[in-house]
Amino acid sequence: MKNILLAIIISTGIVFGQSFHVDKVQGNVKVQVGTSENWSNVVENQTLNTNSIIETGKNSLIVLSGNKSKFTLKGSSALQLSDIKKMGVNDLILALAMEDMLNAPKKKEEANSKNTAVYGAQINGIKNPIVETDNFGIKKLNGAVQLAESGYKESAVVDAKNTYRKYPETKNLASFRIYFANILSDFGLNEEAYDEFKSIQSLNLSNDQKEIVKNKLEILASKLSQK
Amino acid sequence: MSIKISAQSSFELTGYWSPDFINFSLMNSFESNPSNYSNLKDWGLTLSYGGEFSSSATSNLYLISLSKKIGNNFVSLRYTPGYQKEFIFNNGQSIVLQDSTSQQLDSKFTYKELFGLGYSYRISNQFSAGFSFRYFTQDFNQEGVLPVFSDTLYLVRQSEDYKANFWRGDIGINYSPSEKISFSLSSINLININENSIDPNISQYNIRRVKNILLGFSANPIDSFNFNLLFETGNNLQIGLNEFLNAFGGNLGIGITAFHDNFQSPYFAGIIPAISYSNNLFGIVLSGVKYFSNRNIPQSFSLFQDQGISNIINNRYSFDKAILTLTFNINAIPEKTVEFQDVEILNEIYPTLTENYLDKPFAIGRVVNLTNHFVQIKPSSKIEGINNGKIESPVVSIPPKDTVKVPFYTIIPQSYDKQKAGISYVDFYLASANQELEDQAQKPILINGINSWDGKVINLRYFIKRDFDFSMDYAKNILSHYKSDLDTMSYALSIFYKTKFLFDNFVKNLVYTANPRAEADYVQFPHETLKLKGGNCDDLSVCFSSLLESVGIQTALVDYKPVNGIGHVNVLVNTQLSPEQAKLITQNDSKYFIRKNESGADEIWIPIETTTLTNFNTAWDLGAQKFNEDALNNLGIAKGSVAIVDIY
Repeated sequence: MKNILLAIIISTGIVFGQSFHVDKVQGNVKVQVGTSENWSNVVENQTLNTNSIIETGKNSLIVLSGNKSKFTLKGSSALQLSDIKKMGVNDLILALAMEDMLNAPKKKEEANSKNTAVYGAQINGIKNPIVETDNFGIKKLNGAVQLAESGYKESAVVDAKNTYRKYPETKNLASFRIYFANILSDFGLNEEAYDEFKSIQSLNLSNDQKEIVKNKLEILASKLSQK
Repeated sequence: MSIKISAQSSFELTGYWSPDFINFSLMNSFESNPSNYSNLKDWGLTLSYGGEFSSSATSNLYLISLSKKIGNNFVSLRYTPGYQKEFIFNNGQSIVLQDSTSQQLDSKFTYKELFGLGYSYRISNQFSAGFSFRYFTQDFNQEGVLPVFSDTLYLVRQSEDYKANFWRGDIGINYSPSEKISFSLSSINLININENSIDPNISQYNIRRVKNILLGFSANPIDSFNFNLLFETGNNLQIGLNEFLNAFGGNLGIGITAFHDNFQSPYFAGIIPAISYSNNLFGIVLSGVKYFSNRNIPQSFSLFQDQGISNIINNRYSFDKAILTLTFNINAIPEKTVEFQDVEILNEIYPTLTENYLDKPFAIGRVVNLTNHFVQIKPSSKIEGINNGKIESPVVSIPPKDTVKVPFYTIIPQSYDKQKAGISYVDFYLASANQELEDQAQKPILINGINSWDGKVINLRYFIKRDFDFSMDYAKNILSHYKSDLDTMSYALSIFYKTKFLFDNFVKNLVYTANPRAEADYVQFPHETLKLKGGNCDDLSVCFSSLLESVGIQTALVDYKPVNGIGHVNVLVNTQLSPEQAKLITQNDSKYFIRKNESGADEIWIPIETTTLTNFNTAWDLGAQKFNEDALNNLGIAKGSVAIVDIY
């Protein structure tokens, strides 16, 4: 079904704002531009390119304007400015499908020589170092929620999905998962929403969340069976 | 006394069958098949033996013939001792002997067709044309009384013999616009050559040779049923119906022919029922001629004198017959079961794309099964200058009389190293299950040089792999300089840093040669790029990917499909780091993306812009920017404008 949809969809196009004007800054707000490794403080009246990502500290806030609209990012959030864009549902479907298309399930040939024994650093005993989380993923989900609340629901879902992949610990945050799964359901993407709720069901849920997920799955199953 | 005799025309002792089935009845039928084409494969021998049920049954060897097919030529010789008719007439005179008895004086006319020669040529699958020459003898013997004057008048009985032999020649053409319909057109008595001068006394008794036209039509409205119509402009006709079925490993046929003869009555003078069986080796036909009028009655000379006969073996005075006809196919040439209709070359050959032709056919042959049963064939091909022997493609099973498309695959040896393109030839073979050659065809094909590329990014992998030995030596040599660094760092980071070290060394002396990727292109092998110290995006991506792959680092190519005719290629590298380890290599999460590996685990991949011949970090930054913009933000992966081509 997804494949058929992909084939018949005519892209509605994505509207990008070229840049944003910083109307207001409150507290600690930083920006990382493009592929830069560094962060810098954001000041009022600064112009930020869409390839920038902004991060707000606790109790901080930034108000941006561009594309004939204003956007406010509250505290403890992070957002890629290129995500502040209007997408159609068709583009959302394409973006969701792309997640699978990016995967590389191809088998590696044995012919490729593996000489890690020569240069490998297993010798020093540090095989898989784990980096302490800085909750940047949660900040990005906070940003995605605000994106959705501001009317950019499609790009908010795509943003959330990317965050789940790049920050796997965020996959366990049931409240966010339920929030964005409901958006999928609201768009009538029942198959995608059902899969998402089914995945959420395996998380450590509160009783209320269990009830919500259960009810939602029943409704979606009913809709899917009527197809 | 006056006798009307027409020359023998279309009457056949086995009845009238479709020309398609003539090979198992008379292979030398000059009567209804003057163009004389047969489905015979090589040599054919036919014998017809039968009996005539007159007041006393007699038997005859009617016919023996030998046929030979050479290419599209078909030649037939036949000897027909049984094609004869003898008439003995009382000429109305008698001699009264001394004992008062009388002795009757007779006349005896004997008509024979002794032998014939036929030739035909198959012009195409639809047309065949040919001619036949047949030799007839006519012997006329008349008894009379010769007075001898001496002392006494004697009356001596005397016999006078006359001969009037002649050759008859005819031409004909067969046209089969489809397997279902066939037409024939031929002459009757077109050429007549008298062997000797005709005595005026017997000229009136000659076989009359009136020129006529013979028209034939055969149709197979359904596969197993055959309808035949034969009409002579002398107002004679035959209608034949045949039914066939597969039985006993061959064809079983039953047929009936009704014939109208302008010189006989009733309107349909008789029928010829026949039953036949044939297979690839022989055919047998048992047929009979049954007349509807009573033939075993005395008949007067005056009737003979008035109406004559129309045919030597079929006339008012012919008797019912039973004939057994045997036909043998003596094939020195193996019978062909399948043949090519055409072969289409799908792709020119790019020698470096070796394995590409193992699962993608380079040519498609249209092959027809000529038999009535399933045939398994082994297709193979041999490209001149590339293959030393035949390269076999998968066995194909073809239903009876069906035409299928047969794919041809090939293998390009790694040793092929010609850099110049050239035209070569490819021979295609069809062999039976027991390896006997059934048919072959030849087609020209373009063989590109080893640096030629068909423009498909997925096929750049062959350029990457071909130089693995060189790449491995080159990469290991570089990495050996960083042994202490690699030994002391986290193992998880080793792939990332190997990539970085290799890139930084790789680009030191290289120059990017701007050459927008064309649809089909010239690609350098890694050793050539490093030797020439430069290349375009294809060359540099192939080279860097080969260096990484040769030391076990998984890569992919990013195919940025042409926009306004200009495409681009760069490289993705699998760091094998997990998403949780991303901050070990970058503080910017837009510089990498996540792909699941075959085990379902998420791994960090980074894009490298190989044309950025400055340093690794810049190449990574630029690669990430382009990938984020074209592949992700613009949904290029989903829309097909960007493709990830894994090297595996």
